[in-house]
Amino acid sequence: MIEKIAKKLQLNSGEKRSIFEARISPLDQKKGNGLSTAIEVRELTRSFGSFVAVDRINFSIRSGEVVAFLGPNGAGKTTTIKMLTGLLRPSSGQAFILGYDVKKNMSQIKNYIGYMSQRFSLYPLLTAAENIEFFGGIVGLPHQKIKAKIEELAAIISPTYLNQPAQILPPGIRQEVALFAALLHDPEIIFLDEPTSGVSPERRRNFWMKIYELKRQKKTLLVSTHNLDEAEYADRVIIIHQGKIRFQGELPFLYRQEQVASLEDFFKKMVPA
Amino acid sequence: MKQSGNNQNKGKEKIARMARLKAVIKKEFLHMWRDPRSLVIIFVLPLVMIFIFGHVLSFDLKKTETLIIDLDRSLLSRELASRLAASPVYSIYSLSQGASHQKDKINQDSSIKLKDEKNGKENGNEAEGKKAEVKINGKKIIEGNQAESNISSQDKVSSKTKKGLTETADYFEVAEKWLHQGKIKQYLVIPPGFSRKLNSNQSVQVVVVIDGSDANVANRIYQYNERIFYNFFFRAQHLQPPFEPEIKMFFNPEIASTPFIIPGLVAALMLMISAMLTSLSLTREKETGSIDLLFISPLRSGEIILGKTFPYLIIALLVSLSIFLFAHFFFNFHLRGSPLLLFLSILIYLAVGLSLGLLISTVSSSQKVAMLVTLLGTILPSLFLSGFIFPLESLSPILHSLSYFIPATYFLRILRGIALKGASLHHFLFDALILILMSIFLLALATRKFQSLRRAKS
Repeated sequence: MIEKIAKKLQLNSGEKRSIFEARISPLDQKKGNGLSTAIEVRELTRSFGSFVAVDRINFSIRSGEVVAFLGPNGAGKTTTIKMLTGLLRPSSGQAFILGYDVKKNMSQIKNYIGYMSQRFSLYPLLTAAENIEFFGGIVGLPHQKIKAKIEELAAIISPTYLNQPAQILPPGIRQEVALFAALLHDPEIIFLDEPTSGVSPERRRNFWMKIYELKRQKKTLLVSTHNLDEAEYADRVIIIHQGKIRFQGELPFLYRQEQVASLEDFFKKMVPA
Repeated sequence: MKQSGNNQNKGKEKIARMARLKAVIKKEFLHMWRDPRSLVIIFVLPLVMIFIFGHVLSFDLKKTETLIIDLDRSLLSRELASRLAASPVYSIYSLSQGASHQKDKINQDSSIKLKDEKNGKENGNEAEGKKAEVKINGKKIIEGNQAESNISSQDKVSSKTKKGLTETADYFEVAEKWLHQGKIKQYLVIPPGFSRKLNSNQSVQVVVVIDGSDANVANRIYQYNERIFYNFFFRAQHLQPPFEPEIKMFFNPEIASTPFIIPGLVAALMLMISAMLTSLSLTREKETGSIDLLFISPLRSGEIILGKTFPYLIIALLVSLSIFLFAHFFFNFHLRGSPLLLFLSILIYLAVGLSLGLLISTVSSSQKVAMLVTLLGTILPSLFLSGFIFPLESLSPILHSLSYFIPATYFLRILRGIALKGASLHHFLFDALILILMSIFLLALATRKFQSLRRAKS
């Protein structure tokens, strides 16, 4: 049996894949069985011309973990997330989502990942309901399910917002709808790229309440942000700067290791003004 | 067992695919509907362009200001003037006082002396510019008939006429001034003794001075003059021309330029609008970043492309219909052939435009770039290389071979065929086939580019 799998793996790719990943099938993942690594990144690199945006980074995220992806603007957060979601091809290195190679198995990965970005989340001219209908449609939800989802959304936001064009919705509501749209196909792994930029601290806290709710549903989340206060909400942080990972782990460990009192101090140390 | 399961999956996948496609199509329609300003522009812009181009690009003469200096003041000279005045092509100013009634029988033969005056100051030194004298005699007008024998010496008459005219220098001063000011396009001088000479079988010279600064217009004025003079001299003599060619213009009896121009404009505009629709729609998604959400979704590239094309095909069809209706009501454009054939060929042609737009959108980074590329890539070749303005035969070999790659070349042939000639399918099957191949090629290329864009986005 093991031989068979090994053979198959060799046939599938010339690249090395650990038995570790091979063992985690998406089905196991869904059931919450076994050793589960949701995201595995190895020596991942992306360069644009001579500029290296992401420089041989390594990290892994376990299933059910909420990880804050921290770094100043232009540190390589978005580039990393785009590589993990298949929007950008890695220049070199590897990345696996639930054991699937992002370079080869994107069509499988698609069914398990959700993505929301601050840059664009909803079609501004369509109403909230129409946005849900569209995003539900393209992930293949049946008509009935979409209807149910819209009703579900109506219960969360006020029904009056449901039929307003997304561009005139209050920012908080818009964010709510956008997150709802990203989760329509009930993904296992959710990438949130700066979901809270330009949003008040109070609303950020509310948003993180949503994230905890997702965590309770055993979802895995990678949340990129440049707001340091959000790091406190996460299980773990990954700090990236100038394309390189500077730290990954729990915050108290960071304070001890770097002998700083707060994240802010660490950033001051890392990025001298 | 397994087989049936497979089939079931395939069936499910098919349903899911249709549902995804439907979602994209619905979104595109909603998006258009919610953006009425763009929609209005899409519909109104081609109409405005057709209106402007349709009037500007007319090759017909209208109201050519003509000054007639009648120094003969005879019945015949006035007859000539009124003949010119009767034509809608001229608007006549007259410099002549009084008239003497002479019922003269004239014998044939005359010559028209035509001075082409260049107003352009190319050579700079002389304000007057160069005067080129072109002599047209009866032979030229009647083209190789027996009248030849009746032509008397031209040169003598010419000098005589000039002598006679110096007495009325004032008239000339006015005429020259007006010509320079652009108040008139041409003036003609009917010399004294015009009817007498005609009667006594002598050659008469009528001087015609045309503003030659616009060669095209001058040429057309010249041709109209010729026709009128030709008729005049025969009718005035109650003579039958030695032979009368009975010319019938098929498909466009008045040889008006609108029925000729409008199909060209329609072809150029339809290509532009259809390409613009898809190119802007896809680049907008690239610009806002919404394309990322489409790329991340399980949507297949083909579904995105098809979902983007279909709604705009409908819109482009509606725009085409409005263009045709507009051309019908404002430019007297009539359809002689089968509406069904026209519809089918429009469908094919629009498919070419929409695919071209998709291709443009895959290579342009912003809506501005896409718009510019679409405008330059559709309108200009359609106008200049399709045989719309310049006949393909008169293009240089290189440009002529380029014209084979212009969709409008083929569509124009189809359109002129159906609309003007009422041609049937087998007359333009080849053109239609080329257009189909073009749309398939462009769509395949666009899909390929789109897929590589999706896979290796940078």
